[in-house]
Amino acid sequence: MTRTDVDTDVPADAEAHVCSYCGRPFAREKYLVLHRGLAHPDDVSDGERDAYERAYAEEQADIDRFRIVALGVLVVIYFGFLFAYAVFAA
Amino acid sequence: MARRRRLRATLSSLAVATAFAGTAAAHSGSLRGATQESLAVPTWLFLLTGGGAVGASFLLASFVTDRRFVEQLHAWHRSLPTPGRFVTRAARLAAVGVLLSTVAFGFVAPDEQLRNLAILVVWVAWWGGFVASTYLLGNAWPALNPVRALADALPSLDRPYPERLGAWPSVAALLALVWIEVVSPLADDPRLLATVVLVYTLVTVGGAVVVGAERWFTSVDPLSRAFRYYGHVAPIQRTDDGLRLRLPGAALPETAVSGRDEVAFVVALLFVTTYDGFVATGLWATIARTVAGVGVPPTLIYLGAYLGGFVLFLGAFRWAARDARRRAESYLTPEYLARRFAPSLLAIAAGYHLAHNLGSVLLLSPTLVAVATSPLSPPLNPPQLAGLPGWFGGLELAFVLVGHLLAVWVAHATAYDAFPGRLQAVRSQYAVTLVMVLYTMTSLWIVSEPYVPPPFIAT
Repeated sequence: MTRTDVDTDVPADAEAHVCSYCGRPFAREKYLVLHRGLAHPDDVSDGERDAYERAYAEEQADIDRFRIVALGVLVVIYFGFLFAYAVFAA
Repeated sequence: MARRRRLRATLSSLAVATAFAGTAAAHSGSLRGATQESLAVPTWLFLLTGGGAVGASFLLASFVTDRRFVEQLHAWHRSLPTPGRFVTRAARLAAVGVLLSTVAFGFVAPDEQLRNLAILVVWVAWWGGFVASTYLLGNAWPALNPVRALADALPSLDRPYPERLGAWPSVAALLALVWIEVVSPLADDPRLLATVVLVYTLVTVGGAVVVGAERWFTSVDPLSRAFRYYGHVAPIQRTDDGLRLRLPGAALPETAVSGRDEVAFVVALLFVTTYDGFVATGLWATIARTVAGVGVPPTLIYLGAYLGGFVLFLGAFRWAARDARRRAESYLTPEYLARRFAPSLLAIAAGYHLAHNLGSVLLLSPTLVAVATSPLSPPLNPPQLAGLPGWFGGLELAFVLVGHLLAVWVAHATAYDAFPGRLQAVRSQYAVTLVMVLYTMTSLWIVSEPYVPPPFIAT
């Protein structure tokens, strides 16, 4: 899709991890590793593919943590409204 | 007329599971009886619920983290047969006939709102019905556009279009058209309406002759651009391989508008509906009278709020794009992100349009048919639907909510496409979601306020 055809702007003092296939810069190496696997699946070397799969799996752990927080917020929203309606919408 | 309506709603539970029940009340006495029903919940809770629904749907969407699922959902399509050349020609010819007769009957038919065919064709059939079809079915305007048919029949001077203007002329033209609609009795006065349609047609044909029809209708004409954008929401998409059936909104994440100017157009499309509603609230009447009290001319007050509000909307959206870049630790430019996320707003605009217009279209379609059969001597009291059922107001609120839910999903899919990290994608949407929540609450507040005639202007 449009993962390589993008407009980027790297701050002067920031470090950039640049994709060797399309030149798109990333703030962290893990983003570059993920990008290579997603945007250039047919070009990457075996090592880069392994790195991508590892990074994708590692990301899953962070996502699981996010999901627990998101679920908590949903529960708060739900019961918050439940009580609010019970009290104010008589 | 068609665009000014208030919704009254009673909310009973939260979010997607919310059961809406309410009554839509038209303010134009001639259109609908003034059915009034008070809110069963305090306004602040009603507004908070709407905002909460959008926020909760963002959290729910963030649970969908399977990239392949998101991509497959958006890639699903079926081919559709393309209408033949004869059908499209006949349709365009008919559209030219409708345009010419609308202008003619606007001038010669009875000078009464609901007995004049021009008013009914423009506001009921075209603005209410046709425009809804551009986002519910597909954008047929390029095939139908009667003004384009006229322009195509004329030779072109093919003067170069100043590229640096980009889409800005269409932004200005959209704001100008809606400005005229708000401050003048365009929905009540057939002569005025016919004049505006005639002037629009002449200006458009003239412009198309100067820079070429293709260029004019792609860059400058606000209607063609608005319908093209609405068409991105629709399930039927035109591609190089003919017509395609897709899921509604599925084309939006791959639709990047091309610059700041086009982002401004999308935001303007959203803003004009809000402004139209806002000037009919009690708060605005108070503000306008107070400011006029210290000697500011009313037109300047309206214009100031119009342009100021637009800049505020645009600023909020740009802030969201900058925040997305910061939170996602991305080197994508804020302008690029604004261009990627802007199409999600189109789903919201479509939801509002449907909620604002469907009631009038249903009520007045018998009127349209009756007046169209004898435009010069229409019945003294043209028929209209006796009323809409009580649950219709709930349906209108549901359209608003569905538009927002679609927008949240589109932003989610867009972020997945733009960022390699999935949590990056989620974080990038915090500010965009906040802007959408605020926008929902503002709009729900406007529709829940009783109608107050805008002071100083003749409507």
